[in-house]
Amino acid sequence: HGSNSLQPLETTISDMERFKDSSNLELHCPNCSQQFVFGGVIASNFYQMCYNGLQCKKCEHIFTPIQLSCQLESIIRAHISLYYAGWLVCDDMTCGNVTRQISVFGKRCLNEGCTGVMRYRYSDKQLYNQLLYFESLFDCAKNKKQELKAVYYEGDKDYPKEKLSESSVMVLTEQNRELFEINRAVIEKYLSNCGRRYVDMGGIFDFMTN
Amino acid sequence: DPSKYKFRIMRQNLVESSEVLNEQIEIFTKLVQAHLKLTDSDFGDPTIQSQNVIYAVGRIVPDSPSAEGFLNEQSLSLETSRLNGIGRRIRLKLDNISDTSLFVGQIVALKGSNANGEAFLVEDILDMPYPDAPVSTEEDINLYKNSLKGESAKIVVTAGPYFPDNSLDISYLSDFVERVNNESKPHIVIMYGPFIDVTNSMIMEGRIPTFPHLKVQPRTLDELFTRLVLPILKNINPKIQVILIPSTRDVSSNHSSYPQDSFDRKGLQLPKNFKCFTNPSTFQLNETFFGCSNADIFKDMKEILKGGDISMRNRFDRIAEHMLQQRRFYPVFPGSLRSITVPAKNENSKKIHKHISGVDLEVSYLGLTEFVGNFAPDVIMVPSDMSPFARVVKNVVFINPGKFVKARGARGTHAQISICCPNLEDRKLTKLENDEVLYLHNVWKRSRVDIVGN
Ligand SMILES: [Zn+2]
Ligand SMILES: [Zn+2]
Repeated sequence: HGSNSLQPLETTISDMERFKDSSNLELHCPNCSQQFVFGGVIASNFYQMCYNGLQCKKCEHIFTPIQLSCQLESIIRAHISLYYAGWLVCDDMTCGNVTRQISVFGKRCLNEGCTGVMRYRYSDKQLYNQLLYFESLFDCAKNKKQELKAVYYEGDKDYPKEKLSESSVMVLTEQNRELFEINRAVIEKYLSNCGRRYVDMGGIFDFMTN
Repeated sequence: DPSKYKFRIMRQNLVESSEVLNEQIEIFTKLVQAHLKLTDSDFGDPTIQSQNVIYAVGRIVPDSPSAEGFLNEQSLSLETSRLNGIGRRIRLKLDNISDTSLFVGQIVALKGSNANGEAFLVEDILDMPYPDAPVSTEEDINLYKNSLKGESAKIVVTAGPYFPDNSLDISYLSDFVERVNNESKPHIVIMYGPFIDVTNSMIMEGRIPTFPHLKVQPRTLDELFTRLVLPILKNINPKIQVILIPSTRDVSSNHSSYPQDSFDRKGLQLPKNFKCFTNPSTFQLNETFFGCSNADIFKDMKEILKGGDISMRNRFDRIAEHMLQQRRFYPVFPGSLRSITVPAKNENSKKIHKHISGVDLEVSYLGLTEFVGNFAPDVIMVPSDMSPFARVVKNVVFINPGKFVKARGARGTHAQISICCPNLEDRKLTKLENDEVLYLHNVWKRSRVDIVGN
């Protein structure tokens, strides 16, 4: 694995880089059905973290802990299920074969004459990063340091009208610590059974012994 | 062997997956060869042009990798194994076949020829041999008879969801437990998940109400199980053995692919009379072998039918026969997907398909979904969204107990099975005399299945 050991250790990659392809956490308000992207303790036109939880700005409903954690869990499961749908893509740009069929030679493209290599479109690394991204949203330290991946960019029509001061972020994160821990435990339930985590540890070990 | 299910998930490997798919073809090649007493030279590579009539074993696949939706007899190919045809695929011409049922993923044995190099003209589709039935010795039969004290074995089977899609009303389940304890009094209750379904629309949209009767409100779905469902399950009379089989949509399992590891009994705080089995699993109760799988093959198998005779037959019977011939509980490949169409956020683009769930096959481990020991269980129970049924197919009892609760909240069904005590005197068991005297169980002759409204 000569070329592998030249790659940076995964832990040294910044969250911005690591999560650039991760999907947002999209929530429903259980009271008014508004859909919005949850991006941690940040300014948003759709929700705010208040001292006792997540509040919908449209109808002022405050989510009970389970109203948030159940959506997080069903979204995680939808990601895992999509991963198991097993979509494959051909790496030959001129071919573009996207299929769920697997040749008995797994990497062979089923389009006649194509010499491209097939791979899973939703890779285990991508799924693992997706779970880590969700985990970062409920990570108090990262919230306080405002290190989370941005979900709104200047110029978007949804770009927040108001800002959130650094001290508000600190206070609101601390006040929601228990809520965040509940959601982190939900993510940990899946990370603990995730093959990728062990692949990573194996990789690091190889790196040190070789 | 349940320990084989303790693998880490979310780690698909394309090469491993393809090895398993290749192996399926090779296993059947050997099976067909032995069954039809063919020599190696009778088999040929169907992808190569030749005037000779040959036998070929392979997988039914669509003739295009991008094929979607319904297929027909003109759009099928045969995939060969690595050994027999270097994994190449060849279009099938089925003009000479009058009556057949095929499906994608099926391993078939064909007789025919590839005269022009373009397609394999099929002359005959050979019947795959049915697996043997399990047998018991005289000694074992007497042992089971004594342990049952001559009584019939009574089994009740339910399949989730246990809540409707629009409320978390658990009263049907508590009514059911009352009935089990006081009326039906079975020896065993087999309960399939999902107990708490991650694709329930209330859960997907966060519309979980507060529970006025609970002192402490659940904060997660796992707590919803322990506070809402567990207390009711615990009311089942401890003398009744309860077997739980998970669904890949169960919140209470962090292993969400098929084949699926069992629930963690201690982690879920289930009492001692509960046993947690894998999905699928095969187990023996007295003499009877039960095959249990919680992947909806009766809904997911889309047959390509040709001919009037086969079309006239009951669809569940045809699928049951396919399952027996393929010797695995979910022979369709690729497995099913479920998505919903949602309006796109961007006005220019069309609607988008949002993935919800699927059968979530763990392809590298499909070996665990094959019939254990290469014999057919006496009773096969596969819950399905299709209407509930109990049918005897090739002397195997197939049961779909139906959903416990229907999506809109109407009461569903469960199955009650009663199997007469095995008795060597009543001549209901078939005696086989080889080196050793053995008996076929003939459970299909000795059992009665009722589909009961909840
Ligand atoms: Zn709202
Ligand atoms: Zn290609």
